[in-house]
Amino acid sequence: MAMNPMEQFEVKPVIFHDPLFSIAGHPIYFTNQALFMIVAVTVATLFLTLTVSKNRLVPSRGQSMAELSYEFVASMINSTMGSDGLKFFPLIFTIFLFVLFNNFLGLIPWTFTATSQIAITFTLASFVIVTMVIVGFMKQGLGFFKLFVPSAPWYLLILLVPIEVISFLTRPVSLSVRLFANMLAGHTLLAVFASFVVLMIGAGGIMYGVALAPFALIVCIYALEMLVAALQAYVFAILTCIYLNEAIHHANH
Amino acid sequence: MSEPAVTHTGTEAQHSAGFPPFKTESFPSQIFWLVVTFVALFVILWRIAGPRIAGVIGARKGKIADDIAQAEKHKADAEAALAAYESALASARAKAHAEADANRKVLEAETEKAKAAADAEAHAAAAKADAEIAAKRAEAATHVTKAAQDAAAEIVNRLIGVTVPPEEAEAAVKAL
Repeated sequence: MAMNPMEQFEVKPVIFHDPLFSIAGHPIYFTNQALFMIVAVTVATLFLTLTVSKNRLVPSRGQSMAELSYEFVASMINSTMGSDGLKFFPLIFTIFLFVLFNNFLGLIPWTFTATSQIAITFTLASFVIVTMVIVGFMKQGLGFFKLFVPSAPWYLLILLVPIEVISFLTRPVSLSVRLFANMLAGHTLLAVFASFVVLMIGAGGIMYGVALAPFALIVCIYALEMLVAALQAYVFAILTCIYLNEAIHHANH
Repeated sequence: MSEPAVTHTGTEAQHSAGFPPFKTESFPSQIFWLVVTFVALFVILWRIAGPRIAGVIGARKGKIADDIAQAEKHKADAEAALAAYESALASARAKAHAEADANRKVLEAETEKAKAAADAEAHAAAAKADAEIAAKRAEAATHVTKAAQDAAAEIVNRLIGVTVPPEEAEAAVKAL
């Protein structure tokens, strides 16, 4: 009974075994990942709509959490982009909640963590960067290229401009890999220690008691993973804010 | 977490081929469902949940601001009422003081007057009494003279059996 800690990241069809349809020759399956992304979005929607009642002056627990998440994102945008960044509020709020709920949902056993897939995180990150570039050219025109030109003597620019270009091009990679790697590593670690517990209990005898050690570690790592889940959602959202800020305001390095 | 081992033993070979996140054949499905769910969440947050939460927060802020404004108005009213009460109290006190002063002066004047009148009356009574005493004394003196004359006449009559005329007795008493 070999347990593969990577098996949990396998994207596979559920319910329907045949592709639903195909786009440009690529078959589209209804996968375990699709199911849990739908669950995450549904839970997020219910959390933000059912808890909120207009007739309540003092909010319920759920409502204050919904309001807290709203004001948290609003203040994050205000502090990084200023008040004119608030027109991006629905976008940032969506990114934050999408990543947050997928991260947290993935921590429940037998679920699938959509954000542990590079395809998901890279698509999200690319979407953020493309949005940034489009908004940047719309707001600043060709002045957006000043992003690559820090204020420095011309002979330093020969060195600095390529560095800025490279750092810009690596943004979607760093943004996506940060989230992907964090989720992947955490869940792999949990699976590895869980397999230790199973193997030790299977061995029986004294190993039965020793199994408590990896089990205790799982509890600790699980707590850490909850922190990571929230933190990575925050990091993804605030980096989106910072990038969009460069698009709507002139870069002043 | 991991699926129960029994369910995937049959497809073990297929699953273990490569690192799952890098299997490109799953990418179209992944990206398709990402777009669907992300757009759905975006529309829901943008059109329904976001405005709703913003409305609730705004309504509460408005209510709190209203309540604070109302409380401040009540406080100002209370302070104005207190000031009015205090000024009324002060003026009433001043008025009472003035009235008391006036009353006291009137009373003092009346007392003075009454005292003066009583003094005058007392003096008059004393003077009248003095005069009466003097008159009585004079009258008594005459009575004493008359009694002496009568007594002298009576004594003479008894001693010598001569009736003394009153004029003679009077002259004789006066000569004493």
